[in-house]
Amino acid sequence: MHAGLTELDRWLDDRIRIGLADPSLARYATWDDLAARLVDAQAGSLANRIRRLAGLVGASPGWHDDVLAELGLLHLLSQAGRHIGSLPGPLADAVATSVGWQVKQADVLAGVPDTDHWIVAGRSDVREDRIEVRRHWLRGSSSGRWALCLSFAAYQQSLDTSLRVGTSLHADIHRYPGPALRSLVGSRYALPVEPVSPPSHTIAEGCDEVGAMLVTEPWLDRLPVTIRARLAKSGGVWALADATGSLPVLDAGTRQFDVGLAMLLAVSEGREVDLTVEWTPLGVVPLSIHLPDRTVDIGPRANASFVSAA
Amino acid sequence: MKSVDEHWQALVTTALLGTDRREPPEAPQLIADLVADTARTSASERMLAQVAATTAVRRAGVVPGPPLDELAIPDGDDRRPCVPAAVDRWHHITVSWPVLEDEWMLTLVTAGWRIAPELLPAMLVRYRSDPVRRTRVMVGAGSTGRWLVGHLPDLAARHPNATVTPEALAELPELPIAPELAQLVNWPGAESGGVLAQSLEDGTLGHPHRAMLINLVARVRADALLDIAEILDAVDSISAGYGLATVLGDLATTRHRMLDELSTSSAG
Repeated sequence: MHAGLTELDRWLDDRIRIGLADPSLARYATWDDLAARLVDAQAGSLANRIRRLAGLVGASPGWHDDVLAELGLLHLLSQAGRHIGSLPGPLADAVATSVGWQVKQADVLAGVPDTDHWIVAGRSDVREDRIEVRRHWLRGSSSGRWALCLSFAAYQQSLDTSLRVGTSLHADIHRYPGPALRSLVGSRYALPVEPVSPPSHTIAEGCDEVGAMLVTEPWLDRLPVTIRARLAKSGGVWALADATGSLPVLDAGTRQFDVGLAMLLAVSEGREVDLTVEWTPLGVVPLSIHLPDRTVDIGPRANASFVSAA
Repeated sequence: MKSVDEHWQALVTTALLGTDRREPPEAPQLIADLVADTARTSASERMLAQVAATTAVRRAGVVPGPPLDELAIPDGDDRRPCVPAAVDRWHHITVSWPVLEDEWMLTLVTAGWRIAPELLPAMLVRYRSDPVRRTRVMVGAGSTGRWLVGHLPDLAARHPNATVTPEALAELPELPIAPELAQLVNWPGAESGGVLAQSLEDGTLGHPHRAMLINLVARVRADALLDIAEILDAVDSISAGYGLATVLGDLATTRHRMLDELSTSSAG
């Protein structure tokens, strides 16, 4: 893995030396060759980041900002990965996981459980290369801690449908090494109950919560937060807003028709509602609307022609 | 003194040109403190360290944008939105029993429900090119529907000037049913179910008649549905008609539950 990280840093150095205006950045081979070498070097997570980064080139008027920030985080990870032995234990674990160190599920499940009533606050499906990735965001009723449960499906395979948004699950959660959000659900002690909602924050408080998680791991690119906000428009772009400020909605106004945004607009009718969103550096993705009598799952959903149970 | 955001803009400019052509900008103290412990000889290495540190600082310091004006809200609607079970049922029938879609909508409107708002985008997209069904959706949606389309032009009708008659709006479309089966539409469930079960078991009716039989179950009187479902469920599992009986039984059960969820009594 060390050789892969050294090569990544050399590649990053070349990009910074030559400049982001260089036409080579628009060629897929520039990114794909490096991603393939990182896979060979057992740094699969970094390879995925490189592939996602390739998709940012030319994707928006401000793509140079987005690409440069990601190059900086890749540098941070490669440096941390090359000096992993000198990092404190939890940070070393977090870096190892973010770089691509594989952990066996059995080892995770053998760890100390975090038992709580876990509220399934939101779900999102994202296609990454040829794999559909489903994220379920869980929040502990007692601890207030977030947990992330992932499931993966290749073409015609099934995603996890055992976690229903808006329900609460009394269960053990086993976390991956480090201060990880990523977890596995262990023993379940009762059938899920509904409806339940996580506590919500103002937008300013939500930013503080996200910032606190990013201090620990600045390379995280998706984080959950539950806020009370309404939809608003800023220069033709949709945003979530309240009296404390606003957050842009990811890609709204530029991508194809967004069913989740339309559902949020229809259900809220422009009023403030409790929402769980996924924060990303480029904007937030609304995942669920928490109403007094039910939770409406509005997160991006996998194409049913690709996965068999979406 | 430069702010972190101003420094970031300077970094982006340098990154566009490349450090072969431009030296990295001088970092503000906050960033300089973070990268001071690194021994970096080349301009590109110093630049990468600054980019990494500045990105980490900016992300951890995520702050909201300015407050924004509120949207005007739609006019009020006294009707209650249909229950969550009816929402789930609509999704189910669009996948499994589209023959029931018209009845779902007409029953909802007649019983005095409003379409649950979370259904509106999917319905408006699905019926964009169907003036009759789209008009029914707009009736069931009320002011929220018009308000929503005003904000999201992607939901607008494909044929906004199409004419829809009140009759077409209020009536279920006629479904083709063979004359010998058509009489069963008004029979009590015990009798029509018995005839269907017997005909499926002895092979008089089979898969060639599937479409016609589905139309029949979609139009039999509502109080016959439970009996029909029960009788079809009891068809001999080794008979040739067992599979089709199961399918028709599922349709009868689905339609019964759909009508129950949308009944006036459920509306309270």
